[in-house]
Amino acid sequence: MTLVQPAPVFLGGAVGQSVAKPDNLEKVQGRAEYIADLYRPGMLHGAILASPHAHARIRGYDLTEAMAAPGVVAIITGDDVGDGRMGAFIKDEHAIARGKVLYVGEPVAAVAARTEEEARHACRLICVDYEELPAILTPEAGLAEDAPILHEDLASYVKIFDAGSEGNLASRTQLIEGDVDAAWAECDVIVEGEFTTQPQAHVSMEPCGALADIDATGRVTLWSANQSVFRVQANVCESLGLPMSKLRSLTPRVGAGFGNKMEPHIQPITVALAIKAKRPVKLILSREEDFEMVRARHPYRVRMKTGAKSDGTLVARECEVLADCGAFADDSPGVLGYSLLMCGGPYRIPHLKASGKLVYTNKLRFGAFRGFGNPQVLFAGEQQIDQIGEKLGLDPFAIRRKNMLHEGDQWFVGPRIGSNGLGLCLDAVEQAAKGPRADGSPRNFGLAVTAHISGLLGTGAIVRMLEDGTISLNTGATDIGQGSDTVLAQICAEELKLPFDHVVVASPDTDGSPYNWGTTASRVTYTTGRAVKGAAKKVVDQAMVHAAEMLECDIDDLELREGGRIGQRNANSDVTFAQISGRAHWAVGGPLVGSQTLVFDEPTHDPKRAIALGLPFPRIGVFSFAALGVDVDIDETSGQVSVHEAWSAADVGRAINPRLVEVQLHGGFVQGLGYALYEEMVWDGARLANPSLMDYKVPTSRDVPDAIHTFIIEDPEPTGPFGAKGAGEIGLNTVPGAIANAVATATRTRHLHLPLTGERVLAGLITPGTTPD
Amino acid sequence: MAKKTLYSLTLNGEEIEVASSAGATLLETLREDLRVLSSKRGCNQGVCGACTVLLDDKPVRACLTLTAHCEGRKLQTMEGMGGDPIMATLQRHMVESGGVQCGFCTGGVLISARNLLSEDPSPSRETVKTALSGNLCRCTGYRTIIDAVCGAAEELAQ
Amino acid sequence: MTLVLTPTSVEEAVALLAEHDEAMPISGGATLVAMRNASLVTPSHLVSLHMIPELHGITRTKAGGVRIGAMARHCETAACADLTGTLFVLRRAASMIANRVVRNMGTMGGSVANADPAADYLPALSCCDAVLSVAGPDGTRELSIHDYIEDWYETALEDGEIITAITLPAPQTAASGYHKIARVSGDFATASCAMALDPEGTGLRVAIGACGPGPIRDRDGEAALRGKLDDPAAVAEFAGRLVALADPVDDVRGSAEYRLRLIPRLVTSSLVELTKQKELA
Repeated sequence: MTLVQPAPVFLGGAVGQSVAKPDNLEKVQGRAEYIADLYRPGMLHGAILASPHAHARIRGYDLTEAMAAPGVVAIITGDDVGDGRMGAFIKDEHAIARGKVLYVGEPVAAVAARTEEEARHACRLICVDYEELPAILTPEAGLAEDAPILHEDLASYVKIFDAGSEGNLASRTQLIEGDVDAAWAECDVIVEGEFTTQPQAHVSMEPCGALADIDATGRVTLWSANQSVFRVQANVCESLGLPMSKLRSLTPRVGAGFGNKMEPHIQPITVALAIKAKRPVKLILSREEDFEMVRARHPYRVRMKTGAKSDGTLVARECEVLADCGAFADDSPGVLGYSLLMCGGPYRIPHLKASGKLVYTNKLRFGAFRGFGNPQVLFAGEQQIDQIGEKLGLDPFAIRRKNMLHEGDQWFVGPRIGSNGLGLCLDAVEQAAKGPRADGSPRNFGLAVTAHISGLLGTGAIVRMLEDGTISLNTGATDIGQGSDTVLAQICAEELKLPFDHVVVASPDTDGSPYNWGTTASRVTYTTGRAVKGAAKKVVDQAMVHAAEMLECDIDDLELREGGRIGQRNANSDVTFAQISGRAHWAVGGPLVGSQTLVFDEPTHDPKRAIALGLPFPRIGVFSFAALGVDVDIDETSGQVSVHEAWSAADVGRAINPRLVEVQLHGGFVQGLGYALYEEMVWDGARLANPSLMDYKVPTSRDVPDAIHTFIIEDPEPTGPFGAKGAGEIGLNTVPGAIANAVATATRTRHLHLPLTGERVLAGLITPGTTPD
Repeated sequence: MAKKTLYSLTLNGEEIEVASSAGATLLETLREDLRVLSSKRGCNQGVCGACTVLLDDKPVRACLTLTAHCEGRKLQTMEGMGGDPIMATLQRHMVESGGVQCGFCTGGVLISARNLLSEDPSPSRETVKTALSGNLCRCTGYRTIIDAVCGAAEELAQ
Repeated sequence: MTLVLTPTSVEEAVALLAEHDEAMPISGGATLVAMRNASLVTPSHLVSLHMIPELHGITRTKAGGVRIGAMARHCETAACADLTGTLFVLRRAASMIANRVVRNMGTMGGSVANADPAADYLPALSCCDAVLSVAGPDGTRELSIHDYIEDWYETALEDGEIITAITLPAPQTAASGYHKIARVSGDFATASCAMALDPEGTGLRVAIGACGPGPIRDRDGEAALRGKLDDPAAVAEFAGRLVALADPVDDVRGSAEYRLRLIPRLVTSSLVELTKQKELA
């Protein structure tokens, strides 16, 4: 276990070195091609007509005027897409509204025309005959007895887990360990509260878009902004009834995702337009459409109760979540289930009960967003840990150390914890943040800790040795800018003892790449990294066979040497990868190819330990850990919070590329800062009131502290590639909880509602000790 | 097809004529009529900064600029920055610092930074943060970008 | 499709606006083009004010005041060395609009004409007792900033009129400042306070922004407060009068209740800040 600081040295690019991403070069020259930058001969431009209603039956369409508009080539509506439904957990979503519309902004029709302006113009000429229905705008309303039903056929939808769907209830999950109801009697101190969190928009700088082309046989090639070419393929084919062999899914550079581009956005619509127009069609959303049509982080209502002994030992926690699903289930059942798995935090709590409901409403779908339900429950849970500490006179570090889970412990409902560097994370933050500020003034300090998984589902890698001994690596994992191509190439190069730049990473392509579920769940380094390491090892093994024959020695006497050579131990003679690969290509054995696939298969649930009902992820992953300390300032005039200094420590097992880990921690912190302090999607009735960057504000360079100190803790994960585990989400989870704890230090007011706007914090400043609305 | 108007301007050192629809924004003209693609449509409202270009050496939003207002003027985009030593230094620092993640904001960031260094070759960290506050980045948290610009300024000052 | 027309004189611009029903004048474009991109406005013609020399530049008037051409960019105003003392508030306000790049584009005339109650110029201009010069089909006229805003986004500008310049009285040697509460750097104001302290340090001019259709200014209250700036009760009473005049709304930047709460706090903190500045000077 060591603490490392990133060092920007270049020593061949092996694991542990902060290699600069090769794609940085084209990006700083303005040459990187994103979806909007792709053009095809004869290409049309698409545009979407969005629903003006939150809930309405579609009686019919009149396309006459729109079809006659200048430049229009094709129009599609729900009549063109069949009855196929897609969805990661519950297959409830058509390619485009069909029969009903379920939220303001839902795509109802789409036009392909010569220019974007013409396509947008024609959209305005489409007449849709709606019969308006009463709308459900909150989960509470959705559960009311006489509530109008969004999905009348919910019972018949395909579901991939025991969702318990009924009425507007999309799914429910319940997890129980110990006997919570009896345990309250053992507690000397109990805290309780009802917390709410707001919807947050991803705001990837690149809005969603897609380009579909169709070949002479009718087969479709689809480029899109995505986090998984394979999920794109599956969703398009499910919703449009296409065999998967009839759709090739590719990716250009992606302008970030954060969860927004994991499941479908407008790829199915773009493909349907291209099929109908029999020409390539490109469809790029405006920023406003990207806000209104795609997906966002779930608003939560969290009722939480935590009890402890007088010495600070945690005894019991109960957590009840009511989550707004939006109009379609998307990743929501997974988010809810994951929240509940995480609601105990990284603590030993013998009695833990978590239950949650996910309710359909007439809003855009809520779905995956960096943190995946963890930040919401953590905002409640980490404040309660501090509240208990306050009551018992234990400082925030002490109460957390006392209760934290250790290596070998089981997490809530059963998964075994591998490496756990949480204690070191706490040490790093405590050490660095102790004492007053440089000017001697006291800190307004807040702390929060978290764990997050990396894992889930299938992945693969193919490593091919080219004729000259350099390497082509193909994994199917989309690099969304975070640098997974670089990290995977480093893992591959390390295993082959090659310089980093001898490995080229192929762009994901469903025709040629091995399956990869996606760039999500902080999983690429850990799961795909394992596949890459395994595949590279197979290439080494094959090369060894050649080398033994070429050097006429026993294979056990051989060693892999730096720079792509294999030689006999204690001898100078060796053969190069180029010699080996040449022999394999032209004479003996055939080209060297190593492939490895895997699926994360450690069970989540231990039935001897816990009851689990409606668990959407039967096999989740390994655990990373993190601690965040923040020191905040509160503006006395406005109540606005700013962060003076922050200390972010994360146990990522092994930092394959420390610089890239560090940027994940910075970026996660700042995205979490916006979430904690001011980002909020606001609805005015059924309509999103702030679907623009004018009205929805994300942090600028002036809103972030200069002093964000990062500490990379390396406690190697035995199953991870070179010990690595995930780092993508863990830097965000803790931010609202830590800031809320710091605000409580500064104002002696507990805030149960996010975001911690100036308005809320000022109310607390004026009347301390209350819990402002 | 919408009626087009012919505009003359200097793009990246070359005098060009371009036919663009009347009332087009510079962003539409660059991308759709000229296929100059480094200027990105991130919001089309002038907020995100991904479309920032230099017009008569001043950074402007291409999405808020009418092409009609560029008649006879000098326009520079990332495509035309290849020979600029200050830009090259900035680029190298961005590559090495980790200031580039998804890259969608990067061109706009570099244009703003380039303009800053021509007006203030030794900016304070605070000045850099202020100068870049109109270029949103959702990946990096800004820290590595600010490091890169400060690092480039220091190197250039030597 | 929108045609762009490029007159070279105010008279020509006014004539073009009169000629085309759905024409709109365009200056920097920072707001109008954004609105057009979002299809919130669909003008048939845009009458560009770029090529009209008399609309550009910031100059001293004979009376010692400052005349700001309607086409003066925010960056010019933010850097204008003539805006001192009681007029410094306008320079501060300009420097806090959006960000550096947008300040290279946006103009004072455009911003004032757009009349966004949360924009930064209106309270600052109110605090400066600015006068707008307006040209239209019936000739030119002058309009006090205090008579300019009639309702939410409604101004005293008649159809076809454009703002040609903004004139400020001669600056007095005193402290002035602009305090803005906004969610993030460069956002429109949730609430703002433009304040100028008179040279003797006994009187104030205060205009509150973003808490009603236009800036809130209470000149009677200012007169009553004269000489009592060090009396917290008098200051509180004055702030209370501003609160009573305010008519804020709930929006994504904050609730009406929050805005009402901010007004006295802004007055107090601005006064503390200006007094400190004055003492330093």
